[in-house]
Amino acid sequence: MPQVMPEDDAATGAVRELFGAAAVARITYGCNRECSVDVSEPEFALAIPWLASRKFVLISLFCVEGFREGAGHSLLSIFERKGSILILVRNITGKRAMSIATVFPSATWPERECRDGFGIEFDGAFDTRRLLLHEIYPAGFHPLEKLVPDTPVTTNDNVSTADEYPFRKVSGEGVYQVPVGPVHAGIIEPGHFRFSVIGETVFNLEIRMFYTHRGIEKLAEGKDPRDCTKIAEAVSGDESVANAAAFCMAVERLSEITVPDRAWYLRTILCESERICSHLGDLGGMLTDVAFPLGASQFAVLREEMFRENEKLTGSRFLRGQLCIGGVNRDIPADALAGFRAFLVQFRKQYKVGLSIVLSTPSVIDRFSQTGIIRKPLLRPLNITGPAARASGGGVDVRVNHPYGIYDRFAPKPQPLKDGDVLARFTVKAAEIMDSLDLINEVLGAIPDGATRSDEPIRDGYALALLESARGQNLCWVRVQDGKISRYKVRTASYCNWLAIEHAVPGNIIADFPVINKSLNLSYAGTDL
Amino acid sequence: MVNAFSCLLKKKVTETRPLPDEETERLGREIKREIDARFGRSLAIRELDAGSDNAAEIEINNLSNAFYDVERFGITFVASPRHADVLIVTGAVTHNMEIAVKKTYDAMPSPKFVVAIGDDACDGGIYKGTYAVLGGADKILPVDLKIPGNPPTPTQILNGLLALMRTAGKKP
Repeated sequence: MPQVMPEDDAATGAVRELFGAAAVARITYGCNRECSVDVSEPEFALAIPWLASRKFVLISLFCVEGFREGAGHSLLSIFERKGSILILVRNITGKRAMSIATVFPSATWPERECRDGFGIEFDGAFDTRRLLLHEIYPAGFHPLEKLVPDTPVTTNDNVSTADEYPFRKVSGEGVYQVPVGPVHAGIIEPGHFRFSVIGETVFNLEIRMFYTHRGIEKLAEGKDPRDCTKIAEAVSGDESVANAAAFCMAVERLSEITVPDRAWYLRTILCESERICSHLGDLGGMLTDVAFPLGASQFAVLREEMFRENEKLTGSRFLRGQLCIGGVNRDIPADALAGFRAFLVQFRKQYKVGLSIVLSTPSVIDRFSQTGIIRKPLLRPLNITGPAARASGGGVDVRVNHPYGIYDRFAPKPQPLKDGDVLARFTVKAAEIMDSLDLINEVLGAIPDGATRSDEPIRDGYALALLESARGQNLCWVRVQDGKISRYKVRTASYCNWLAIEHAVPGNIIADFPVINKSLNLSYAGTDL
Repeated sequence: MVNAFSCLLKKKVTETRPLPDEETERLGREIKREIDARFGRSLAIRELDAGSDNAAEIEINNLSNAFYDVERFGITFVASPRHADVLIVTGAVTHNMEIAVKKTYDAMPSPKFVVAIGDDACDGGIYKGTYAVLGGADKILPVDLKIPGNPPTPTQILNGLLALMRTAGKKP
């Protein structure tokens, strides 16, 4: 269903200006109105600096095997500018490609990921360390290649010190290293933080992730798409709905399935409930980390109440098993929805009380203010997304920029702040909870009757889906061949924002690291996949 | 103006929340009795994410909110494995976590117990037999108890811990 785009579309304009008017004929428009064009390596080299200077943001880069006839591997680079999406497809031979990480730093991790997953070498890459596969994996093992089966591998028994991951070295008088993790002191996920410290001040922070790499993308391959919603839910526990919804959206788009209206209303309620739960956890966590348990326990109680409402509505505290391709698995009866609405009225009152206690406590504000600043110029190069970007002056929100489902009718009110510190992130998240409460209330007031799922068949094809999870933009690209998933690419908001922490922490003292980390509250599982 | 004396003398700001959780209270009392009898009134738990999707971590954290508040039953979550009686493992053990899991267990003093929480930790769950995971926690550690679920609720976890307490005394 190719759609003709208006002339002023930024992506189409870019193609015309870069490759000439004739190149516009090469464009194919995807189901998401994204503009996709196959380019040669020289054309790509020409496009990169141009796109960077025109404020395009690289939101994802990944590899697909057998995407085009005759080409072994294709690299898809997805750029975004003001709600317009441009996909440049490089069909490469000989597993070599040009690195763009020096121009688009947000390509660093994806390029390393393609190297681990498919064995593609990037010419000119400044960082060629392994990413997904730690030193325990044998050399030359590239699990995402089609020829490699998803079966247990023989790992290295002994990892010698020579094979250990080389962290950036910072040296000088008085500089020392503080290694933290992967096993942390609290009940949280594993990751390694390498601090280089002078006195108490952090001079450099390097984060090593992917300890919980479970091979999610490979796991979905060869499976019936209908069986993969639970795999999408397992990407990250507190983003179960967001990832399942993004996956379902992608499959629905490639199959041209029309989701019934009521299903989208229900999905929206679930998405926003999940956002409230996630943000409440963040607010409580930030308060715990500045030793203000009074506020933290207020939010913990509210969150538990919300989890219990989730269970009443769907049978799962994490809203799992509710979404399916074509709609939702079970309708939620009207009396349950009415009960939920009544609950939210009480919830809102208690939430306001909790929030006012926090915001009137000077010691909390003192710790939050001017701590862990993420500066606005970092947003575009690192592709920082979600509340973290909105707290640093970025106006990005998929619900507004690329409305999906019913968000064109129920748009959230963007409430960006400029300061970029922990206080700004706290305030943005706190305001977004109120916003989500309003949104759920509106949606509940207007929910139509009718079917809750469509049983139209799943077709072959590929599609991109973007969705705003609690942490920001989630990207999902799905390809179905012969009725089975042949590629499932997930890029969660957490994946983008980790590098923001590396920039937010230096200059602060180590004791402030937990609250800075919690103010972004990124999912390790959602990054490691 | 805020005055230290007026803060001391004025009525305390407090509220009692209705907690209609008879089951939690009952479970808690029984756990406390077992912990008092066998673990000198305090059970120290170290939680270890070996490849979880973070849902189990959230539920374990929830055990400390005001609804459950398990510390009153004698359960504490400790920062170091060296202080722990019980290691809770969540998630299918990934290859990337293999070494860290082993080191964490080895750092615990004996006698020690291992509890696997969640379907993935019990037997590998949806990741069973794939390239990135070793499998359930029992592939690498001696597991004393498995609490299945996706993830198990806080009440189910408490039920599991009670079962562990009851069998713990019989361990040689």
